[in-house]
Amino acid sequence: MVGVHKAFDANEVLRGFSISIPEGQTTSIIGGSGSGKSVALKHIVGLLRPDEGEVWVDGENVGRLDQESLYVLRRKVGYVFQFSALFDSMTVEENVGMGLQRMREFSAAEIHDRAEECLRMVDLVGYGSRFPSELSGGQRKRAGLARAIATQPKYILYDEPTTGLDPVTTSVIDELIIRMSEELEVTGVVITHDMKSAFRVSDRIAMLYEGRIRFEGTPEEVRDADDLVVKGFIEGRPELMESVP
Amino acid sequence: MDLISSPVRALGRGAMSSVSALGRAGYLGGDALQALRKVGMWAPHLLGQMSRIGVDSVPIALFIAMFTGIVLALQASYTFTGAVPLYFVGTLVGKTMVLELGPVLTGLALSGRVGANIAAELGTMRVTEQIDALETLAYDPVAYLVVPKVLAGILMFPVIVILSNGIGIIAGWATSMALLDMSSQEFVKGLRLFFLPFDVWYSIIKSASFGLTVTAVGCAFGFHTRGGAEGVGRAATGAVVAASMIILVLDAFWAAVLL
Repeated sequence: MVGVHKAFDANEVLRGFSISIPEGQTTSIIGGSGSGKSVALKHIVGLLRPDEGEVWVDGENVGRLDQESLYVLRRKVGYVFQFSALFDSMTVEENVGMGLQRMREFSAAEIHDRAEECLRMVDLVGYGSRFPSELSGGQRKRAGLARAIATQPKYILYDEPTTGLDPVTTSVIDELIIRMSEELEVTGVVITHDMKSAFRVSDRIAMLYEGRIRFEGTPEEVRDADDLVVKGFIEGRPELMESVP
Repeated sequence: MDLISSPVRALGRGAMSSVSALGRAGYLGGDALQALRKVGMWAPHLLGQMSRIGVDSVPIALFIAMFTGIVLALQASYTFTGAVPLYFVGTLVGKTMVLELGPVLTGLALSGRVGANIAAELGTMRVTEQIDALETLAYDPVAYLVVPKVLAGILMFPVIVILSNGIGIIAGWATSMALLDMSSQEFVKGLRLFFLPFDVWYSIIKSASFGLTVTAVGCAFGFHTRGGAEGVGRAATGAVVAASMIILVLDAFWAAVLL
């Protein structure tokens, strides 16, 4: 993403946001609530278009793609939503099979088998016939992840994957993100304000502050950063952040 | 000064938001026309929507039509007694049901049942990011969600209205037999007196336009919902109010153009 600006009415959310995501690694974008992390993520799949600046994925300028080219690009990307965004009128298995059904390359039996395989990967064997309303928060997140990986994407975008979960479920989701990266060799982008989780799953961490990237580095570099905004955020000390002019 | 400027500002804000909503609805209409090409995405859902929007609405539509037919027969006889031959009850029931009350009352009732339902369903999908999820899975949400609903409305409203017209007339006939001391022949004589096949086409054209209105307005309000549960409620209410108003305007439009 290069110099991306995005505003909603008078609210300027991204103000020259630039970041480069290395292939095959997991990059976390951290930042406070309402800092524009999810807005940045939505630009990668063209759910939002930048007011200014460019978003490049696989050599293609996302903001300039027509609808059909955008759909082709989206098949390479899995998106895990903050509140799962499962289709509530469908069973878990139907949810997981939606992306495959769209590709029109698979028979019903193949879609069923792939959905079961994905549910097994996220430890949801036996939950395929349930509806999303019958799942717990953590199970819903895992079902959302199963849906995102069903089409074997090259990239997975995680929007606040651990928000609102208890510590045990959070660590299960973290493990899954690490497994996706190691076993499926996908490039991951994680949006989070959960620092424990970010340090655990990331190869790189970038901090979004006031609409642009404030600091970027390995988890160790972030931990040792002298920048008071970064320090204040990861240590949960707002007075440090406020002391910066 | 504030006393004057505040209402003016509020009026300006209201006008701007109405124009912007119209613009968004226009865009959605354009997208829906383009999405018609994606037959593979909407066709599998058309029958299901025809059942939900059409078949499931039949009971309420027939209930309304039955009582409308009864009241029309009783009021006609009350008005005509002593001045106009009673067989004109059949004329009035038939003409009024087919030309006006069948399509309009059904349209208004279904703007509540169908329009609010569509707006709430799509509104919930919007605020829970299900529409975004569809997009990330490479589905065109307009082709997948909007087109089958609008087509089902255009196709099924005329069917429901024709059934309602029939039930209204039968209810008027039965009332005339039971309560007005009329013979069946008299009622049918009045019914056939000014009947024109064009009346049925008029009813069909009107109801198809009402079907388009109710479903398209429901989709437009639902698709652009903002702000959680409260937003969904606002979308549902807004869809019913807007669709009802457009139905009444269309009613006058078709009368002026076709009659």
